[in-house]
Amino acid sequence: MRLLNVAAFFFAISSALLLYGLNYDTRRLEAEVHAKERIAERARDDIAVLKAERGTLARPDRIDTIARQIGLAPPRVDQFVDGREVSLNEQQDRPNGR
Amino acid sequence: MAVDVAMSAGHGHGEDARKRRTRSAAEIGVYAFLFFAFAEVAIHLATLALNHQSGVTLAVSEAVATSFSRPDIVDRNGRLLATDLEAPSIYVDPGVVLDRDELVEKLATVLPDIDQKELLRSISDRSRRFIWVRRGVSPKIAQEVHDLGLPGLSFRYELKRAYPSRKLAGHVLGSVNVDNRGLTGIEKYIDDKVGVDPVHSAVLSSRAPVRLSLDIGIQHALEDELITGEKLYRSNGAAGLVLNIKTGEVLASSSIPRVDPAWPTQALDKKHMDRMTVGTYELGSVFKTLTIAMALDEGIAKPDTMIDVRQPLQVGRFKVTDFHSANRPLSVTEVFTHSSNIGAGMLALQAGTDKLTSFLGKFGLLTQLRTEEGAVSPPQLPKNWGRAETITAAYGHGIAVAPLQFAAAAATILNNGKPVHPTFLRKFDSNASDEKPIISPLTSREMAHLLRLNVTAPDGTGHKADVPGYRVGGKTGTADLPKAGGYSSKSVISSFLGAFPMDDPQYLTFVVLFEPKGTKGTHGQHTAGYTAAPVTGRLIARIAGQLGVAPMTVAATE
Repeated sequence: MRLLNVAAFFFAISSALLLYGLNYDTRRLEAEVHAKERIAERARDDIAVLKAERGTLARPDRIDTIARQIGLAPPRVDQFVDGREVSLNEQQDRPNGR
Repeated sequence: MAVDVAMSAGHGHGEDARKRRTRSAAEIGVYAFLFFAFAEVAIHLATLALNHQSGVTLAVSEAVATSFSRPDIVDRNGRLLATDLEAPSIYVDPGVVLDRDELVEKLATVLPDIDQKELLRSISDRSRRFIWVRRGVSPKIAQEVHDLGLPGLSFRYELKRAYPSRKLAGHVLGSVNVDNRGLTGIEKYIDDKVGVDPVHSAVLSSRAPVRLSLDIGIQHALEDELITGEKLYRSNGAAGLVLNIKTGEVLASSSIPRVDPAWPTQALDKKHMDRMTVGTYELGSVFKTLTIAMALDEGIAKPDTMIDVRQPLQVGRFKVTDFHSANRPLSVTEVFTHSSNIGAGMLALQAGTDKLTSFLGKFGLLTQLRTEEGAVSPPQLPKNWGRAETITAAYGHGIAVAPLQFAAAAATILNNGKPVHPTFLRKFDSNASDEKPIISPLTSREMAHLLRLNVTAPDGTGHKADVPGYRVGGKTGTADLPKAGGYSSKSVISSFLGAFPMDDPQYLTFVVLFEPKGTKGTHGQHTAGYTAAPVTGRLIARIAGQLGVAPMTVAATE
C-alpha cells in the first residue's frame, strides 16, 4: 500500500513536472513564433521599401533621360521589318559552301 | 523461551532499524528529487526573468488615431504606382515634458514649419498624454528629432502612401489623407469599392494589388508629348488620353500641369484640375464627327451627297461661316475634311433637333458619365434646343462636355457602333461586348474612312498628324473660347481626335491644347491642324510600336 502511495506521489510529481515542461515549451515556442513573425514583418517592410525604390528607379522619365543620353530613341517605322524578310536576307547574304 | 523471545526481540529491533534506514533513504531520495525539481523551476524562472524583454507600453488617456492599410496600385503590366510604406510619426506626451519652451524651440530647428504657438498651447495641457507633432516623416527627420534627446518626444510607426513614379498619372491615382484614407481618384475608388483595413500600427495590407488599365510607358509618352506641346505652343495647359477602342480601357490619361499625389492640396488649385474629367469644354469641330455620323446613319446623306455651303447660315444676329471657305458646293466627305461649319449645320438642320439630341443621347453625351476615377463633370447643354442650338451643336459650340466623355462617344463610332465604356481598371476578359450597336457597322466603316481621309488628303485639316505606316485617322477641332458678349478667336481650345490603325481602329487618342499660340513653325497659326495634330502625330509615332501596332510595310506582308 505504501509502495503504491509512493508510486502515486512520484507519478503526480512527474506529471506536474511534465506539464510544467510542456507549458514552458509552449511558451518558448510561442515566443519563437512571435520572433519569427516580427522578422517576417520586418522582411515585408523591407520588401515594400525595395519595391518602392525599384519603382522610383524604373520610372519612365528617368529611364527615358538615361536612354537618350546613351543615344537611344523610340523606334522609327523603318526599323520594323517582317521576320520572314530578315531570314530571307540572311539566306541571301550567306556565302556558298557553308 | 526467554532466549527465543530475546532473540526474536533483537531480530525485530534490527529489522526495524533496517526499515528505518530504508525509509530515511527513500525520504532523502524524495527530498533530493523535490529539491532538484524546484531548483529547475527556479532556474527557469530566473532565465525567463533575465531574457524577458518588456514590450513598450503606451499609456494613453485619449484615443490614438486609427490608420488604414491600403492595397498597392499597379499598372496593367504590374508596375508599381502606389504602395504603403512604414513611416515614423512624432508625438509628444506632455506629462513627461520637462521644459516646454525648450522642446518647442529645439523641435522648430528640425521642423521649421510647425505651428510653435499651437504646439506650446497643446503641451501646456498636462491632462493630455498624446499630441501629434508630425505624422509620416522621413527616417532622416525622425533621426534628427531623436538626436535632440528631448524627454516627452516619442515615435510611432504608421503607414504612409508612397508614389514611386511621382507625378506620373497623378490625376488618375488621386490622393489620400493623413490617416491613409482615399480622397480622390482611384484612391477614393479603393476606399469605396475595393476596401481598406483599419490598423493601429504599421501593418501592410494583404489585399491583392489594384491593377489599372494604364500602361506607364504610354502614360509617360503622353505626358512628355503634352508637356513638349504646351511649351512649344505656349499653351495655357494641355490634356490628353489614349483609349483602347475595343475594350474601353484607358491606357493613358493626363492633364498638364500635373499633380503630385503625395501633395493632396495641389489638386485643389483650379490650375491643377484634371481637365480630362473635371473640366467641360465646347470642343469645336471634332464634334462634326458625331454630326456626320448621324447624317450617314440616319440616311440623311451619303459621303458623296453635295451640300451648298456658299452662303453663310444665319443664326439670330450671328452668321455661321467657314474658316476655310470653299466657294463651291461640297460633298459630305469634303464637309468633314474641310471642316465646314455651314455644311455640318445644314446636315443637323436637315435631321432636326429631335434626331440630333436623340443621337447625342444614345452616345451618352447628354448625361453624366462615371468612371472609377470619379464622376465626370456633367455636360453643359442648351436650356432650350432650337434652330440656333441645333446648328451650333453640329460644330461643337453651345454644348460643353468633358474630353473623356467625348472620347468615349468617338470610340463608340469606331467600334462598329458598339458602346465603349471607358474604364481605368485592367480588363482581363477581352471578348467583345454583346451590347447592341448604336450605329450600323457600315456607318462606322465610312467614318473610319473619312477620318483617315482627313489625314491623308492634301486639303485635309489633319495631315500633320500622319505617321507613315501607322494608318492614322483623325479630326481637328479649334473652338473659340467664350468671352464677355461672344467668343474670342484669339483664345482657342485646339484639339485633335486621332485613331489608328484605321483599317481596323484599335486605339484612340485625344489631345487638347488650351489657348495655344502660333509659332514661326506654324506660320503664326494656332489652329488644331498646326498645334494639336502634330502633337498627336509625335505621340502616335512614339506609342504605336509599344502597343504592338505593326507599320503598314510589315502588316501588308503578314
